Order: sequence, then structure tokens, then C-alpha cells
Amino acid sequence: MPRASVGSEWVHPGRPFNLTNREIVTRTDEASTDQRAASPAAHSVDLRKTYGSGDATVHALAGVSVTFQRGHFTAVMGPSGSGKSTLMHCMAGLDVPTSGQTFVGDLDLGGLDDTGLTQMRRDRIGFVFQSFNLVPTLTAGENITLPTDLAGKKVDKEWFDYLVRQLGIADRLHHRPSEMSGGQQQRCACARALINRPDLIFADEPTGNLDSNSSSEMLGFLRRSVTDLGQSIVMVTHDAHGAAFADRVVFLADGQVVDELANPTADSVLERVRKLGA
Amino acid sequence: MWKVTIKGLLAHKLRLVLTALAIVLGVTFIAGTFVLTDTLHNTFDTLFGNIYQNIDFQVRGVAQFGSGGGATRNTVPQSILSTVRGVPGVAEAEGSVTGFAQYIGHDGKAISSGAAPSLGVSFDPNQAISALHLVQGRPPTTPHDVVMDLGTAQKYGFSVGDRVRILLQGPTQTFTVTGIAKFGTADNLAGATLAAFDIPTAQALMGEVGQFDSIDVVAKPGADKAAVQRSIASVLPRGVEIVTGQTVVNEQTSNISSALGFFNTALLVFAFIALFVGGFTILNTFSIIVGQRTKELALLRIVGASRRQVFVSVLAEAGIVGLISSVIGLGLGVLAALGLEALLSGFGVTLPSGPLAFEARTVVVCLVVGVGITMVSAIGPARRAVRIAPVQAVTEQQVEYEISLRRRFAWGSGITLGGIAALAAGLTVPTIELVGLGAVLIFIGVARLAPAIARPMASALGRPPARLLGMSGRLGRENSMRSPRRTAQTASALMVGLALVSAIAVFGASLSRSATQSVDNAVSADIIVSNSNNNGPGSFSTTVPTVAASVPGVTASSTVYGGQFEVRGSIQSLRALSTKNLTDTVILNMDSGSPAALARGDLLIDSTTANADHLVVGDTVPVKFALTGDSRMRIGGIFQSNALIGSYLVSQAFFVFHFQNPLPGAVLLKTDGSAGVEQAVQHALRGFPNVQVQSRSQFEASQSAQVNQLLGLVYALLALAVIIALIGIVNTLMLSVFERTHEIGLLRAVGMKRRQIRAMIRSESVILAIFGAVIGIIVGTGLGIALVSSLHSQGISSTVVPVSNLVIFLIIAGVLGLIAASWPARRAARLDVLAAIAVQ
Repeated sequence: MPRASVGSEWVHPGRPFNLTNREIVTRTDEASTDQRAASPAAHSVDLRKTYGSGDATVHALAGVSVTFQRGHFTAVMGPSGSGKSTLMHCMAGLDVPTSGQTFVGDLDLGGLDDTGLTQMRRDRIGFVFQSFNLVPTLTAGENITLPTDLAGKKVDKEWFDYLVRQLGIADRLHHRPSEMSGGQQQRCACARALINRPDLIFADEPTGNLDSNSSSEMLGFLRRSVTDLGQSIVMVTHDAHGAAFADRVVFLADGQVVDELANPTADSVLERVRKLGA
Repeated sequence: MWKVTIKGLLAHKLRLVLTALAIVLGVTFIAGTFVLTDTLHNTFDTLFGNIYQNIDFQVRGVAQFGSGGGATRNTVPQSILSTVRGVPGVAEAEGSVTGFAQYIGHDGKAISSGAAPSLGVSFDPNQAISALHLVQGRPPTTPHDVVMDLGTAQKYGFSVGDRVRILLQGPTQTFTVTGIAKFGTADNLAGATLAAFDIPTAQALMGEVGQFDSIDVVAKPGADKAAVQRSIASVLPRGVEIVTGQTVVNEQTSNISSALGFFNTALLVFAFIALFVGGFTILNTFSIIVGQRTKELALLRIVGASRRQVFVSVLAEAGIVGLISSVIGLGLGVLAALGLEALLSGFGVTLPSGPLAFEARTVVVCLVVGVGITMVSAIGPARRAVRIAPVQAVTEQQVEYEISLRRRFAWGSGITLGGIAALAAGLTVPTIELVGLGAVLIFIGVARLAPAIARPMASALGRPPARLLGMSGRLGRENSMRSPRRTAQTASALMVGLALVSAIAVFGASLSRSATQSVDNAVSADIIVSNSNNNGPGSFSTTVPTVAASVPGVTASSTVYGGQFEVRGSIQSLRALSTKNLTDTVILNMDSGSPAALARGDLLIDSTTANADHLVVGDTVPVKFALTGDSRMRIGGIFQSNALIGSYLVSQAFFVFHFQNPLPGAVLLKTDGSAGVEQAVQHALRGFPNVQVQSRSQFEASQSAQVNQLLGLVYALLALAVIIALIGIVNTLMLSVFERTHEIGLLRAVGMKRRQIRAMIRSESVILAIFGAVIGIIVGTGLGIALVSSLHSQGISSTVVPVSNLVIFLIIAGVLGLIAASWPARRAARLDVLAAIAVQ
């Protein structure tokens, strides 16, 4: 499993990372790492989401209680229609569950109105999507700083420079999405997800539209941002190879958590998938 | 967020241009109107300033009624002139008279230019104070001399030494042009023709021997003007006043201003109609844009844009489009003003030349209205944009946030009913503002209801093209049924345009029919002699009635006079008829009293006035005439409404006694029925080219022709609204083509020919256009009928729905739909198949 070592190029030059708005975390601050581990990045309690009514009722989520640890890379797997995306949407405050609770940190999303949810997403959550979802009329650079601009905050220039250098898109900043390759677009989306130093990044099939080289680069980048920057990531994926980059895999089927796997490898994931499918 | 808005705008320049066009046209109209009327206003201001710049005071009769420049005044006796000249401090004083004098051109036709008067004036040889400045020749000195205005001389080819015949109060006379003059700085006074005679000749020709209309006074240099004014005032008899030259300038200017004000308002009404229709186009465009940007807006919501930010971004886009359009419209408005000016001078209204007036007010109004309408129209789409859920960016589900049909129906019906109520109230009171508000509400309400019937309507209207064009037609029909709201919104703009056109058509047809009928119900004469200048003041020489009456075969004649008097404190039009042949020439259906009362000097009133004022035969009412002052008149009879007479009628003898030098407005002749009488009358009156002789049917036809001429003008102005509606259709189709790029690519890939693609887009367009036209014609016919029935008491007695016209409108709408489709259809047909399929 490719893991970058401590002290690699991933260390932010000169100053500690401010991963959230509230806590200063340094790479060497063990106490703080423990503290983060103690309070999960996000968790849900008996989450249910149903569509339709009567005979036509569909249970997209049928009571999901799941915890995503801080500083962990969690993969969510399951067949189509298992509720992966719905779970992600509910936990990110994009969709409203039928019942149950969702928390980001200690924050109960059920108690937030639209403005509160918007602010929560803007300040505490980053998104990476399968279809990149960049604003076509903005340049790469403008897309990256969009969340900061929307919040009316000043862009941390050092952090911005650092991200685009690491992602290898420093020379593409003035290009429109239509002028970039898929891999470049997805790296741009990654930078956008990280620009506000969110508590948690949700990645929905981030490699689904990428070729295998770009996929590996992307997964490697996500892995390193967890290992080196202490970022928390939840990734929905179909791909056993991709899931192997995670610290833990949660398996969903028919709207329920059916299994978990710690320290996965591609083989162990595939084996588990076969078992569940059987 | 600003960045997103501006970048988004720049990325869709075509969309921007099409959206802006609707507003540009409306604002151009507003700006053009303001610039033109301001320019005219300033020019007249300067002109009057020029004319009166050397005059310190004017002595004139006290206003009998009215005030300022439009007042009715009596003449002053000539003897006052020498009194005024004798006042210490007076350097110069000269009297002047003004009256009727109309040139006859080399071709034997009377020279007249639109609504401008044909003036005969006295020529003041003292060029220091005269408003007329000789540019050629010499002043008039004998009773056979005339000085012509430069405008008329140039246009009709007269030069010094030419002989010219002039129509006057009395018999037509021939004069020699001794000089050509400018009026102040202008070639003529806004198209009016001027014939200037020496003072005694002018007095004789205008019927004011020993009288002046006014006396212009210049004070000695260095004299205390206030003291001079007081001294003159102290020697003036009762009923004569002295005012400063500046007062006269101000009065004349404000007189012109109020005339221009009406012109201004009329043009602005059409400008606002155009913008209102433009508003529908904007609303529709922004709805489609928001629909197409759903994914992008949802994405912005995901990455942290608040609802407010999304709302503001859509409105900001509208604001920017509105601002750009308004600025362009302002610029084009100046050009439009120049164009309008050229158009007017083409019609013979030579305007005094002056620099274009571009007031700050014009800029403010145009920007506020242009930006305001665009932003108000975008509020609905912006609110829909706010309702887009963030999750729509990542799910394929197309969540249509269509408000429920029931709510739409409730709102639409509510607004429509409110509109009908306002319209009904406005028509009964009558208040024009309420009528306008009612119409606006009805349009908005119907536009909200339209989506409910869009699908079945489109389905029904799409049947013929589906049958005729096969698959292309079927797809066009399907496309027009696909989004009822879009179809309805696009059609709504055309709906408003056609509703107005149809309402005017109903109104015009009814007016025309009523005019014809009212001639039948008002006149029993066989021949009507009237002024040939339909637009201008209709009067002619007092010799005409005598000449006409003496033609063999004419058995009876009656002369019609018109003037203004004050009755029960308000100024009203008064008609007079000779009592002798009254019943032979006019149909007077008496409710009470008798026409014979006219001979006793009684006043006859129509039943509408009698009912409104609670008057009965035998009552006396206070009246006032400019010439003779206050008195009381007995009501001698009450007659049923008569279009020719109006509300108040007196005898000719009474009228002539109470008005100074009245000119006849028409002569009604009864014949013995023998053939050729009309030609004989025509022949007898050949020396009066400003007079037309018509049989009753010809007279009726000319009444309708006048109505139709007015209608033509209104149609032309409404055409702008229809054009804007068409731009809306082009815009919608273009956006639809972009939206369906993938689908069109697929159709092409599976073998649809370019021609078929074009046919598909065209049938959709025609369905849209006819849909809008059908609703518009229905609503407009309703509006027209409401308008006409509210005017029953005003003499519009019959309601006519001109079905053939309405069918023509429908066909025109279909053709316009075809035209609107041509560009989008070409665009769709030209799409590269592979590239189109690749687009998701």
C-alpha cells in the first residue's frame, strides 16, 4: 500500500496546517491527534431515507449508523442502489433524511436550516465528484477559490500555491475546464475541496471518469492528504483497487451497513465483495 | 459570486444579445420620445425668446376664459395704440392682428401642412420689434402685397414678384409676393404658413377694422421699465391688460409644452407597451437560463453559495443585461429622435432647427425603467433558482419545481379577475390609469393561466403540421407540448401584442361603423361641404355658404358654426345652425322642448348632458362668451345625442352675435334630387380649393377613412411590441436548440435530413406563434368589446368584431412564427452530427 513517509514533500512549508477553523494541528502534536481520534469527523444514528409511499415505498437507507473517524480514509462500497450516494448526500447535508440523525463533528445537521447547512458545507466539508463538476465559465484557479470567494474570505495564497503545486496544475490555472484533461479537472476539483481546509471530504466515485494512470494519481493524492495532512476523507467507490487506498471499508447493501474491513487490500476487498454478493 | 455572474454572461454572448434586444428597443423608444420632445420644447423656447426679445411689453385683451397662451381674448381698439405711444418712456409701439389666410399653390390646391394653422398676420415694418424678418424683397405697402414665409416659398416654389391667390374669410383674393421672411430664426413656425399684409390690409382681411389683437411696446433705453409698465397700465381701459414680453414668451412656451406633453404621453404609452412585452421575453429567457443552469447553480450551492447569493447572482445578471441594454437604447434613442424629426419634416412639419436636447431626466428614466423592468421580470426565475436543491448537481433526476396546477390556476384566476375588476372600474369612472392597470393585470393573469392549456392547445394546433410534414411536424408538435410553461411564456409576449392589436381593431371597427351610422342619424342633407384639411382647423370663407346655397337644385342649406363658450363654469364646445332649414338638413330627435326655441335665442342641449347635469327645459344656466361676457340662457329643448352637433346648440344668429368674425365649419345642403347638383356645387366652389363637396355616402366614407388612418398609426406603433414578442420566440427557439443539441445530433445520426430538422423547428415556432395569437385575439377582442361598450354614451353606439381582420392577424402571426424560426432552424440544421452527439 503506497503511503508517503513522514517528512516528505507533503509537509507544508514553514507553518503548521490549520485543518479546521477551530483547531491548530501540527504533524508532531500527538495529543491533538488523539483528541481528533476521540471525536469522529462525522457520524450517523439510525439514518433512514425512504422515497414514495405505500407499496411503492423504496428504502434507500434503512437505519444506517456509521462513524467516520478523524484523520481516516474511509471507503464506502456496495452494489448500485445500495444507498451509498444517498448516505453521502445525507451526511453532507445535501439531502434531508426521513429519520435519524447526522453529525459533522459535534454538529447535529437536523437542527440546521438551509443557511446553516450552506455555511456548514462551505466551511467544514469538501466535495469531489465523479463528473468533476467545475463551473465551466470559470478558469481552474477561479474554480479552486470559489468556496473562499463565496464565503467572502481572503484566499490563503500560500496554501493555494502549495495545493496547486502538489496537484501539478500550477500551469493550468488560467485554463477553462473544457481546455483541461479529465485528470487535470479532477485535480482542480480536489484543490477546490481542500481550499477551505474542511473537517471532512466526501469523494463520490472520484475516479469513475478517469483513466487508470489518472486514477492512481488521484487516489495517491487522497491517501497522502490523509496521511500527511491529517485530512479526513469518505470515498464512495465501486472499485476494489481504489478501496484498497483507504484505512477502512464500509460495505452497504439494501440501505444497511453489512460489513466492515480494516486495512484493506485489493484482494481482501474483492474477496469480501464476492462473499457479500454470494 | 460576481465573478461567476460576469463570466457566465460573457460566456453566452449570443444569449445576452438576444435578451438585451427586447429591452434595447423599448428603451430606444422612450429615449427617442424624450429627446424629441425636449428638443422641440427647447427650440420653441428659443424661438419665442427670439421673437419677443426686443419687445418689453404687450398690451392685449384680458383673458375671457382659459389662461396664458391658449386663452380666448378680445381685440383692443386701435385708439389705444396712440394712447400707449403717448405714454412717457415708450420708444416704439405697434399693433398686430392675426387671422385666417391660406395660400393656393401653383397647382390650384390649397396649401396646408397637417395640423398646423394657415395664418394671416399684419406685417410690422419696424424690423426692430417685428417677429418677421425679411430675407428678400420689401415689406407689403399696398392692399395687394403679401410677404410669404420662407418655408412655404421654398416648398411650393414662390419667389418675389410672383402672384399668389389667398383664401380668406371673405372672397379669395390675388396678391403679389413682395418679400419673403423668416419667422424669428425659423423658416416657418412649426409648419404653419404665414401670409403677412400691411397693417390696414390685414385688419380689413381679418375682419378687425379699427382693432388689434395686441400691441407690442418697446421702452426707451434706460427707462425704468416697471414705471413704464405702471404708466401704461394706468391709461388702459377696462378689459385691456399689459404684460411683459417675458410673460408672453413663458405663456407661449407653456402652451407648446402642454401640446407636446400630450404627444409625449402618447408615445410613452407605446414605449411602455413595448417594454411590458419585453418583460415577458426577459422572464421567459431567464426561466430557460435558470433551467439550463440548474446543475451549475446546484453546484454553487454545494460548494457554499447561500440561497441569497444565488438569488442575487440571477438578479445581477438581469441587472447587467438591463443596464447594457438601456445604455445602448439611450444611444439609439438619439438616432430615433433624429429619424422622427426627419419623418415629421417629410410630412411638411418643418421644425425650427435646434441642437438635440439630452436631459439628465432622459438618462435617469431610461436607466431606471430599462434596468427595473429587466430585474422585475427576472425575480420569478431567480426565485426558482433559489429552490434548486444542491443535490441536483450530482443526481440525474430533473426535479421540476413546477408549482401545482391548482395554485397556478388560483393565482392566475385571481389576478385576471382583479384585472377585470380594475378594468370595469376604470371604464365606468372613467380613469385611464385604472384601465391600464386592469389590462396589465389581465395580461399577467392570463399568462399565468396559459400553461394550464398549453399542452392541449399545442396538441391541437400541432395536428395540421404533424399531418402535413410527417415526422418533422410530429416532433415539432411534441417539442411544443414538452414544456407547457415555456411554450406558454413564449407565447405570452405575442399574446399581449396581439391582444392590443385586436382590441384596437375591435375599437376601430366599432368607431368606424358608429361614425357612419351617426352621420345617418345626424344629417338629412344630401351634400356636405366641409374643409378639405381633415386634420386641421376646419373653417373656410363666409362666402362659401352663399355661393353653395345659390346653386340651382339646392333646395335648402344650413351653415354649421363651432366655437367655445363657458357654461356653468366649464368651457364647452358650442355648435350653431341656421334655424331656417334646420329640419331639412339635420336630424334632431327632441326628448322635450322644440327646435323652434333656437329662434328665441335659447340653448339646446343633448340628453346625455341633461341627465348628467339634471337639467330640464325651462331651466336657466349661466354662460359666458369671450366677446359679450356673462349672461344667462334658457334651456329651450333637449335632443337625443347627435354626432354632428355635440352637446350644445344655438342658432346661427345668436352665434354670430356672440363671436367675433366666426368662420363656417360646414354647409349642409338639401337638393331636389336632380342629377348633377353635386357637380354643380363643386363647380360653383372651384375658387375655394380648401373646401370639399361630398355626398352623404362620400362623407361617411371619409369619416371611416379618418378612423382608419388613425388606426394605421396605432398599428404601426404596436408593431414594435409584436416585433419584440417575435424576438422572444427567436430567443426561446435558439435556447431550445442549444438545449437539445444532443437530441438533434441523434435525430441526424439516425437519418433525419437537414430539411426535416428545419421543418421540425419551424412547426414548433408556428405552433408557438399561433398559440399566442389565439389567446391574444380572444383576450383582445374581449378588451375591445369592454372598451366599446363603455363608450356607448360617448356616441360609439355599435359593437363590431372585425372577424376578417382577426383572421388576417392570425395568419400574419403564423407567418411571423415561420420567420422567427428561420435562424434557429438553420442553426439546428447546421449542427455537426458527431460533435452534437458528444455533447451531454
